[in-house]
Amino acid sequence: MGSELALSLPKWASNPCIMGIDEAGRGPVLGPMVYGCLYCARSYQNTLSTLEFADSKTLKEQKREELFEDLKVNESIGWAVDIIDPRELSAKMLNKNKINLNEISHDSAIGLITRVLNLGVLLTEVYLDTVGDPEKYRVKLSERFSSIKFIVSKKADSIYPVVSGASIVAKVTRDRALREWELEETAENMQRNFGSGYPGDPQTKAWLENHKHSVFGFPTLVRFSWGTCNSYLKDGVEVLWESDQMDEDGSCSSRGKRQLKLSNVGFTSSKRRSEEIESSGKGRCKFLEARKLEQVTHF
Amino acid sequence: MEGEGRGLIGSINLSKDKKLVVELSGQVHHLPCCIKYDGPCSVFDYFRPKPNGMEVDGLRVEEAYFRGRKLRGATVPLPDGYSGFVLGKESRGNRKVSEMSEESSNCWEVNAKFDKLSYWNHDTLPSKDDAFLRAFHWFAVAEALHKPVTAEDLVSASVSLKEY
Repeated sequence: MGSELALSLPKWASNPCIMGIDEAGRGPVLGPMVYGCLYCARSYQNTLSTLEFADSKTLKEQKREELFEDLKVNESIGWAVDIIDPRELSAKMLNKNKINLNEISHDSAIGLITRVLNLGVLLTEVYLDTVGDPEKYRVKLSERFSSIKFIVSKKADSIYPVVSGASIVAKVTRDRALREWELEETAENMQRNFGSGYPGDPQTKAWLENHKHSVFGFPTLVRFSWGTCNSYLKDGVEVLWESDQMDEDGSCSSRGKRQLKLSNVGFTSSKRRSEEIESSGKGRCKFLEARKLEQVTHF
Repeated sequence: MEGEGRGLIGSINLSKDKKLVVELSGQVHHLPCCIKYDGPCSVFDYFRPKPNGMEVDGLRVEEAYFRGRKLRGATVPLPDGYSGFVLGKESRGNRKVSEMSEESSNCWEVNAKFDKLSYWNHDTLPSKDDAFLRAFHWFAVAEALHKPVTAEDLVSASVSLKEY
C-alpha cells in the first residue's frame, strides 16, 4: 500500500546501502499512521548530511514539503511508505486477540525492510527510532534479518540524517493523507477541519465533539481504540461485545460466553435479555444448544 | 409472568395491506454485539459493507466496521418457503376497545419483511460452521417433524423394524 518505489533498480543499490525508518501519526486519535523509509548507498552518507534533513517536527510544514519534493527527484535516494489505515489500527487493537500499537509499528517497519530487500537493494545498516525497549527491538529485528546491522535508538530522527529524511517522508505523507481523506460516511454536515488529530488540539476536540454519533460512535477516520474516544461517547448508546465480556472476567466460563451469544441471537427486549443471561441452558437438547436455538415465549 | 415456559396464545396478522409492509431485504444485519438501543438510526450513512473478494464455503465474504471493530460476514438468503418478518403490536383502530383490553398484549402485525439477511462475525471469517447458519438446520428437522405421516411411511417403517 502506498509504495512509490522506483521500478527500475538504480546501480548504487547493489553496493552496501543504509536505510532510516521513522513514523508519523502515532499519537493522533484520528487518521492513518504512516511509516516511511529512506535509503541510499553508504558512500552517499556524507552528501546526505548536507541536505538539511532534520527531525521533521522541527521543520515548518512548507520546508518539509520542499524537502520531500527534493528527495523524490534525487536519484541517489530511494524511499517507501506504509500507510496504516485508522480502520486497521482500531480493528487490530480491538480484535479478539488484541494487537498493541508497538507490535503494529514493528510489523510495519519489518514490512518496509522486507519490501526494500525484495527490490534487490543491498541493505547493510538500518537506523530506527525505538518503539518500546531499544535493545529488545534491535534483537527482534536482527533475528529476522541476520545480514543487516540495526541501530535502534531514541531520537534517531534527530541524530541520523537518514532517519530525519525518513521522518520527512512519513510526516509529509501522513499530512497529505489526512488532508485528502475521503470520509466514507455520508451523514449530513460532515466537516474536514480535523486539526492535527492530536487529542489535545482544540480543533481536533471540536471536530470529535461535532462528529460523534450515539450509535456508531464516530466516522471510521477515528481510532476507536484510543482512550480519548471514550470520554466523547459517555452519553452514547452502550454496546457490549462478547470479546470484552471475556476480558472483564478472566474466569468467565465458556458457558457464560454461550449465554451471552444466545441473548444476542433472540431479537428480544433488554428485560428479557437479562433473564436469559442469568438462566441456565434449561435442558435444551444438544442439537438446539449447538445451534443456539430456543423457543421464545415472550417478545 | 403467567405462562412462562408454556408460552402464551397470541396472534400475528399477516394479511396487512402489502403497501404498508416495508421491504427490508438486504438491510437486515445481525451483529456480534448487543446494542442497547431500540429505535430509528441512519445506518446507511455509517455502516458500509464491502465485499472483500474472498469466498468461504460458497459464502461471499463482506467486510464492515462498527465501533472500531472489524466485522466479516455474509449475506444469506432465507430458505424457500420461509420469510423474515418485523412484527409490531397491532395498531389500534383495527380492534374494538373491549378486545384491546383482553388481548392487547399479544396481537401482532407485520411491519416489514425480508428474504435475506447479513450476519457478521467479529473478525473471524464466516463459514458454514457458524452457529447462525447452523440454526437453519432446524428448518429440515421441523419439516420432518410436522409432515403428515402417510400409510406408505408406516409400511416402510414397519418393514425396516422387521429387518432388525
